Formats: sequence, structure tokens, C-alpha cells
Amino acid sequence: MKIASKLCVSVLLSAGLATGAAADAVMAKKGMEADMVLLPKFLGILVFDQANTGAQEAHAELENPGELLFVGPTPENSVAGQIEIVTTAATQSRDAVMISNNSGDQIVPAAQAAKDAGAKVVTWDSPIPSGEAEDVFVAQVDFASIGEVMAEMAHSILDGEGQMAVLSATPDAANQNAWIAAMQTALEAEKYAGVELVDIVYGDDQSEKSYDRALALVDKYPDLGVIMAPTTVGIQAAAKAMQDEGLCDEVAVSGLGLPSEMLSYTLNGCAEEFALWSFVDLGYLTYYTAYLMATGQISGEIGESFVAGRMGEYTIEKDPTRENGNRVLMGPFTVYNMDNIEAAAAE
Amino acid sequence: MNRWSLADLSPQALRLLALLAVLVLVILFFGTQIERYYSARMFNRVSTSVAIMALIATGQALVVLTRNIDLSVGSIVGFTAYAVGGVVTRYPDLNPMFAIGAAVLAGAGFGAFNGLFVAYARIPAIIVTLGTLALFRTFLVEYSDAKSIITADLPEWILALPRTNLFSIGNLDIRLTFAVAVVVVVAVHLAVTRLRIGRKFYAVGSNPEAAVVAGINSRRIIFLAFVACGALSGLAGFMFLSRFGNITVVAGLGFELKSVAAVVVGGINIFGGSGTVIGAMIGAVLVGLLDASLVRLPYMSEFWREAILGFLILAAVAIDSVLMRRLFSWRQSRKERLQAQAPFESDGRGG
Repeated sequence: MKIASKLCVSVLLSAGLATGAAADAVMAKKGMEADMVLLPKFLGILVFDQANTGAQEAHAELENPGELLFVGPTPENSVAGQIEIVTTAATQSRDAVMISNNSGDQIVPAAQAAKDAGAKVVTWDSPIPSGEAEDVFVAQVDFASIGEVMAEMAHSILDGEGQMAVLSATPDAANQNAWIAAMQTALEAEKYAGVELVDIVYGDDQSEKSYDRALALVDKYPDLGVIMAPTTVGIQAAAKAMQDEGLCDEVAVSGLGLPSEMLSYTLNGCAEEFALWSFVDLGYLTYYTAYLMATGQISGEIGESFVAGRMGEYTIEKDPTRENGNRVLMGPFTVYNMDNIEAAAAE
Repeated sequence: MNRWSLADLSPQALRLLALLAVLVLVILFFGTQIERYYSARMFNRVSTSVAIMALIATGQALVVLTRNIDLSVGSIVGFTAYAVGGVVTRYPDLNPMFAIGAAVLAGAGFGAFNGLFVAYARIPAIIVTLGTLALFRTFLVEYSDAKSIITADLPEWILALPRTNLFSIGNLDIRLTFAVAVVVVVAVHLAVTRLRIGRKFYAVGSNPEAAVVAGINSRRIIFLAFVACGALSGLAGFMFLSRFGNITVVAGLGFELKSVAAVVVGGINIFGGSGTVIGAMIGAVLVGLLDASLVRLPYMSEFWREAILGFLILAAVAIDSVLMRRLFSWRQSRKERLQAQAPFESDGRGG
């Protein structure tokens, strides 16, 4: 509860800043034509499908006579597949490419080609680390705040004292890496002195690998108190591993998870507390941003404000979590526990 | 000539012995490196995770014995895990045997698809199954419609399976899934070594032309090998579902590599015709053990582990092949020596 109220404050603050700076927010003109491509890290994970739902909602709402394609690589081919799809989008002269980048900076040449061919390159969920060849990044929540929330959850689960390990997705996932870095920064604060981060391992967003890694962490660190998994696949796998081996009393699982997938683990105490944001909203806001840029209604300059339909007003700002690059910050964050998970899972 | 000697053992038995020796060495080595290594916990970890890979490796062994390879096993595991997961989510009261049967049948269907192309269209197995590796995975991506199978939606009996203990020796759990895997592997091993049709797998692999001359329908045997491999992968898919619960489209990714590694480390000749199914099982144990142990090494970085696993596999195969060659030439010279000493005996074995 403590975390939730703290979050509310920071969200209110950022919302206040946004309205203050945006006296003349751009209202979207409907019905302008733009061919758009929405590109997830790979196909077949629920959260990306939810993002597509949001983008389709915005597509219909804005009455765009152009096309909205949802295409992604198969999982085993994520990096090469993403590069190929962006390259194809460039040759087909799409007006906007929306990428949840899983390819680090390797995507830059393809993204640059798309830009040169006249497309707007909008990243969402996971940005291009160098910010090169990217017009703007639609950030789900402030990356620094994800780090703080994870540190805070670990702190409250451990009662201020104990060992934590991180179970991440792939080693080159830009978003997870940024969140972990943010968490490490947050942990340096006096308050978290008792929380020791002992290891970071990678389950590659595969259930079997994440499950095995979680068990290995428990064996390797007998005093481990919490496994922090900033990925919806990893957190479930870790929770199931603890449940199967009867370890839920010793090791708590936390991180970022989907309420519908985590319900049983929260109720049986294996994962008492975790956090997430809405991927439907993220897809919706990403579409609005890309549509407005592709149709020339906004240019992507820092300080520009626009209204994203039902979600309200947003302002483009310098991304403070990267050296280069601009962002649109979505938020807010929800922390789930016994009190609110059943209602959220039913949605 | 009656005294027992290593040289009198069959190459198969020697291979198994060498493999067991390597297994013991690996266990001894990691025992010095990892705290609490000789623990019931570690045994349970390895045995439960090996249960799945042993089944796949057994299927892979049958295919490799016929001088082929199946690279699509990971995709078959992923698809059956997902499809059966979807079915039991929708019909939670379904009879467990029916769910398991469906997984085996679905896997066999995929295997038959591979088998048709390899055996009857005469396309090299590596090409066919490289294609179906991607094809079956794409079926899964399409079929799944970007949804995951969620643990919470699965019936209780599936979730209870990986926790079900057949019996315990002290703290050592013999889990049901591990026991089932061992029973299946032994059954397949006996079928291949004792049944007439089983021997044909070896015949087709060791000398296809001779097999045809001997009147063996080699196409049918190769087809059967792929069907069996698919069926075993389907069963493994079911076990995968019960163990991991949450099934996304990446389920089973990379299993082709591990299964081939298990088979090759287990002493099955990649060019067919020799090796044993039990060997493949021990190979799966060795690969599983290395995997589980390397993850627990305190000074091992995440990035080096895969490389070291690959290196150890190469080393295992190289050492195996060098030792075998040495042994054969040593045995050959010994035989010649013996024959020179006792010209009236027909071979070194004697009475």
C-alpha cells in the first residue's frame, strides 16, 4: 500500500507537469491516411497481443483509411526477423513503423532505411538503446520508477533485510536491462542498504529455461529471500518452480506480471506482490503518437503536446534514461496484491 | 583364454562403460566445486528435468540409428504441449489417459509428416526436418493466436503430476514423471534390441543397400522411426505442459540441439547403425547434469555457460571416438598376437 501511494504521487506530479507545459496540445485530425506497421518483439506472447488490441482500437477511432499491420518474427528468429520486417516496411514505403525493439542497436541500419524511405520510426515497450534512427519512444512507465518499484517491493517482502536475485528475459533486452540498472541505482539509497542483490540470470523468456534458472538460484543461494523477475514469462515460471518444490515460504517471487496469469500464485502466497501497466493502453498511445507523426500533425520535437483520445494529453520530452532520444511517457503503474488482483484478473 | 578382459566386451558395452565413467568423473568434479552438490535436492532437480529430455532423446536415437536426424522435435514438443494444454483448459474433466493419448497421437502425426517426406519422397532428413522445425513452430504461432496457456486454467491433476512422488529413498524422490520416462526408455530399448523389427533399425542404418538386399523394407522402417520419434516427442510435450504449466509459443525451443547432443554423447553413431537407446538416456542425463551443474557454479558467467556446454559435448564425442579407435586397434593387434601364439584357435575368445 505504501508503494501504491508513493506511485500515485509521482504519477500526479508527472501529469501535472504535462498539463502545465501543454497549453496548445494538438488534437488529432481523423481520417488522414497512413499505412502503419506494429512490430512486437515476437509473436505469441499475451502482452503483445494486448498492445495490438489497443492499436486496433485507436486505428478504428481515428478512421485511418490506411492499413494497420500487426507483424512480428517467430520467437527463435526474433532479432533477424525484426530487422527483416523493418527493412520490408522501408521498401514498401510504410508511413510509420512501431517497434518493440528486441535487437539492441543492430536494428539501427534497417530503421534508418525506413526513415530514409519516409517512415516515422516510433519505438514502444523497448527502445533503440542509442536512440539513433528513432523518432520517439513511447515509454510504458518511467524506467527509473520501475527500478524504484522493484527495489521497494523487494524491500517490503524482505522486511528490509535479505538477499534478492534477478531473473530477467534475454541478456540483450534493452528494456529489462534498463530497469535492472535503474533498480541497482535505486538500491544504492540508504533505505535499501539491507537488500543485497546477489545475482542476475536470464531465462530468455522461455518457461523451461526460466523455471530451471529459478531453481538454480535457490540452490546457489540458500539464504535467498526474493526472486525479482521483470518479465511476465519469468515471474510465472519462477512462481511455479517455487510452488512445485514447496519453497514458497522461503523464497518470494515478485517483479512484473499479468494479473490474469498470476492470480493463483498471489492467492496461494507464492507471489504476494508484483507490478505492471496496461499493454492495451500502451498500444493505443503508441498508435496515436505514430499516426500524428506520420500524418504530419506533430513533428516529434521536444515540448510538443498532443491529445491521445481517451487517454488524455501527453508531451514529448527528452528521455532521461538514455543519452539520446525523445520519449512520450505513459504511466501509471499498478502494484497488485491480495487486495486488488481478483478484480484486475477478471478484466 | 578364459580370463575376463575389457577387450572381450562388445563395443556397445564399452561405450556405455566409458559413458558411465565420464558421468562419474563429471559428478566428482562438480562435487568439489559446488557446495551441497551431493544432495537429494540436486538429484531431484536433475531427474525431473531429465525426464522430458530422455523421452525426446530416445525418439531422436531411433531416427539417428536409421542414419537420419529429426530437427523438428522441439517444435513438436511445443505444439503438443500447447494444443493439449488448450484442450484440457477447455475440457477440464477430460480423462487424463485421453489427454496423454492425444499428445502422443498428435506427435505421431507430425512424425508421420516428416517420415513421408524423408522415406517416400527421398528428401534428406536434415532438409525436411529443418523445414518442419520452422513449419511446426509457425503452426503453433498461428494456432495460438498470440495467447498463452496459463497455469491457473489447467486442471489440478496436471499441476499435481510433477509433484507426484512414486516413492522416496530418504530425501531422494523418485518422481512419477521420471519413473515413466525410465520405463518408456527401457521398453523402447528392449523393443529395439529384442524384437525382429527393432533389429531392422540397425540394419537400415548400418548398411542401407545390404538391408534392401536382405529384403527389409527400409522406407517403412525409416517412416516408423520418425513416427516413433514424433510420438515420444508428443509424450514429452505432455510432460512439458505438466511441469511448466505456462506455455507460450517459444515452448521447447532449442530441444533439437540438446536431443542430438544427448544422442551423440550417448554413443550413437551419427551415421547410423550403432549405439543403444539406453546410451541416449545416459547421454540425456549427462547433458542435463552438465546444464544443471554449470548453472550452479558460483564463478560461471551466464554468457560462457552455453559455450562450455558445447565444448564439453565436443570433447566428450572426440574423446569417445579417439578412445574407441585406440581400443579397436589395440584389440586388433592383441587378436593378431594371440592368433600368432595359438595358430589353431580361430579367434581370441576361445572356449
